[in-house]
Amino acid sequence: MAKIPCTHCQLQFDEEMMITEEAQGKTLHFCCKGCQGVYNLLQSEGLDSFYEKLGDTTLQPAVTQNSDLDKFDLEGFEKKYVTLHEDGLKEINLIIEGIHCSACVWLNEKVLHKTDGIIETSINYSNNKAKVIWDPDIIKLSKIIQTIQSIGYNAYPYDPKLQEERAVKTRKDYYSRILVGVFGTMNIMWIAIAQYAGYFTGMERESKDILNVAEFILATPVLLYSGWIFFKGAYYGYKNRVVNMDTLVSSGAIFAYLYSIYAMVTQTGEVYFDSVVMIITFVLVGKYLEVLSKKQAVDTLDTIMGSTPTEVTAIKDNVKSLVSVENIVKGDLLELKPGEKVVIDGIVKFGQGSFDESSLTGENEPVFKQEGDEILSGSICLDSVLRYEATKDASNSLLSSIVKLLEESITKKPRIEQLANQISGYFSSVILLIAIATFAGWYLYSHSFEQALITAISVVVIACPCALGLATPMSTLVGISVAAKRSILFKEATFLETMAKSDLLALDKTGTITEGRPSVINAEIFEGFEPSMLLALANTSNHPISQGIVRYIHDHYEKLDEISLENIKSIEAKGIEAVYTGKKIRGGNLAFMNESGINVSFDSHHSLFFFAIEDQLLGRFELTDTIRQNADKAIEQIKAMGIKVVMLTGDHEQSAKSVAQSVGIDEVYAKLLPTDKAALIDDFHAQGHIVVMAGDGINDTLALSKSDIAIAMGSGADIAINVSDVVLMDEKPESIYEAYAISKRTFRAVKENLAFSLLYNTISVPLAVLGFVNPLVAALSMSLSSLVVVANSMRIKMIRLKGK
Amino acid sequence: MSGNTIILMLGISTLLGALGLIALLWGVKTGQFDDQSKFIDAARYDNVEDLRDAAMMDEKKKAREKKKKDHYMPAD
Repeated sequence: MAKIPCTHCQLQFDEEMMITEEAQGKTLHFCCKGCQGVYNLLQSEGLDSFYEKLGDTTLQPAVTQNSDLDKFDLEGFEKKYVTLHEDGLKEINLIIEGIHCSACVWLNEKVLHKTDGIIETSINYSNNKAKVIWDPDIIKLSKIIQTIQSIGYNAYPYDPKLQEERAVKTRKDYYSRILVGVFGTMNIMWIAIAQYAGYFTGMERESKDILNVAEFILATPVLLYSGWIFFKGAYYGYKNRVVNMDTLVSSGAIFAYLYSIYAMVTQTGEVYFDSVVMIITFVLVGKYLEVLSKKQAVDTLDTIMGSTPTEVTAIKDNVKSLVSVENIVKGDLLELKPGEKVVIDGIVKFGQGSFDESSLTGENEPVFKQEGDEILSGSICLDSVLRYEATKDASNSLLSSIVKLLEESITKKPRIEQLANQISGYFSSVILLIAIATFAGWYLYSHSFEQALITAISVVVIACPCALGLATPMSTLVGISVAAKRSILFKEATFLETMAKSDLLALDKTGTITEGRPSVINAEIFEGFEPSMLLALANTSNHPISQGIVRYIHDHYEKLDEISLENIKSIEAKGIEAVYTGKKIRGGNLAFMNESGINVSFDSHHSLFFFAIEDQLLGRFELTDTIRQNADKAIEQIKAMGIKVVMLTGDHEQSAKSVAQSVGIDEVYAKLLPTDKAALIDDFHAQGHIVVMAGDGINDTLALSKSDIAIAMGSGADIAINVSDVVLMDEKPESIYEAYAISKRTFRAVKENLAFSLLYNTISVPLAVLGFVNPLVAALSMSLSSLVVVANSMRIKMIRLKGK
Repeated sequence: MSGNTIILMLGISTLLGALGLIALLWGVKTGQFDDQSKFIDAARYDNVEDLRDAAMMDEKKKAREKKKKDHYMPAD
């Protein structure tokens, strides 16, 4: 059967299943009504050049949205998201869903520009965020959202005041400061080359002075503007009585700068403006990278918050009304409609229904709730209308507490990093003390202020860039590239070090140890079984169990006829039924079969799927989540390194235990909510462990952000990948072992390098203190020591991994 | 090489470089680099239509301001 692309979204589908339309002598094919609608709309608006710009990019099929738009015009919504300008214009920040390429951005902007009453729009392609300014006299917000939906995208608001504004501002600020720093450094370097040449071959005093002044002019803005961040850090450090890296950087830079001015004015000795700018620029770039990673996490956080409703249906004295979530108090009676997201925790009072709790537990199977059961915010009501009593208010409900905690952990530095800062703080104070002592000693000894200052500065300058400077980054850089070649992405260099020190690995079950999707492990087929019918039936549902059945049929049967079913009905949490050539066919779980009058009894601790035509049972399938290949081997190797392995899961105890047993994990924690997982990680911390956590879902995010090192699977939820420190692109469990091995090897190289540079410092600093260091010796010994460090780091590349 | 030549060369080149830097900083400040991908796309899809679009948006803004002036109602 020929597969052809949909004219709008360009995804490939079977020709027979598609909607065809004749236009201008050509036959157009569409995969769904939504795509067809969007295509025609674009044609009539004269925006068809969209498809030219699109190129080969495929889109999501356009979904006809029918969510209620009225909520966008409600007062509570407006108060939360809309800002009113002085001139009566209104502004909102939106996240636009479904943007895949620059053509999508173009289309959205174009359509919004053409809409009357919209004064300004700008859409950011990198994070799909848009700012829209409109005239409330001409157009309503709901109409704007509708316009976006009509071309096949969806938009929901977010509150930029939360985090984003601040993050963007710091990012821009750092960027400008780096630009000035790089500009100054580059220009000073080529002047400095002339200086060095002059030092060795001789140079006229006049030329030297001119070069000195030029360097001074270039170095001043770098020190005062780019270096400002360090002065601020050092000042706060001083206020809190802490000596930190900032203190060393700023004092080194300031002293070198002041001395250089002195040398320039008195025309004696050498200037060190090049060291001033280099210290500042390099350390600044490192800080900037940290700021960048924070910004990304903020972007995804907004996506979660934006999709939560702002109003809920409350029932008071039998009158329904929409109430803003902030006004809900404990004890209020609320109503849930199918498809609604729960924002407030509560207990079901009337009715029953199934809930999708996948964002909380990671398990894909819907959970059935009835009177007296607790429902949690973040879950989605799937199939029925029910009423429940609020047991918490909005700000204490689970979902908002997760987001709140995440916000905190993003802005808070991990424990290990703080420790590293502390150590470099000690180092900095010692060097500063030595420099001060040197100054005092030399001044008393020689009574020459100049000589004392030169020697003291040479101590600071020599110690500052080299000791902690090159030793760590060089080997971590090599370590990161070795890891990247094995599709393990370390987001930051320091994570290698932390991971090497870790002694506890916490693994999530679904999606990490297992593949996260059920597959058939047992199938029993009775006479009259029609695989093509089952395939058609299972294909109508996106439920993971149905998808598992589809994969099974594709694997075991070849060349099946396409069948089109009628009257397809999907009964959430139970199954699917449809009619084919007058016969009723059904597929679903045990309860569904029994309810439909087909008597089956079967017991299994795996998920079950039955298939029946009319009253005849034709197939029984047992499905379970399969364990990833080599998971047991990888865990064994990790254990052999002396690392404790535990499993955390939202699944029930029985299945958790059986998975744990087959991969060799002894310690299992089951039935955990996201907050429980995070609390467990805290417990491990309290016991003195350094924790590595691997997970993939939104439900793991909180625990991931709490752990010292978070490993995410490459196909996991965006938010999980963003809060994580390491991403495994190939999703193999062996990669966790490899990540451990590589980080341990790297850490060894770091220690070797540090030992060497410490040795270098213990020799060079006393020499500097005694005044033996002149620029020539310093330059030679510095480059020599750097070479040693680089060569030692390169040895990491020769690492051998077990089983390779 | 005389000192004056060196001063002249250094001065002019640094000045030119500084002008470039200032332009870049202004660009960052006014948000022209906020979206890296769009920055490149602007070069790829540059055409008259976009220019017309921008002009249209400008006119819309002006029209609104004018309307507001015409219907200005002082607060009571």
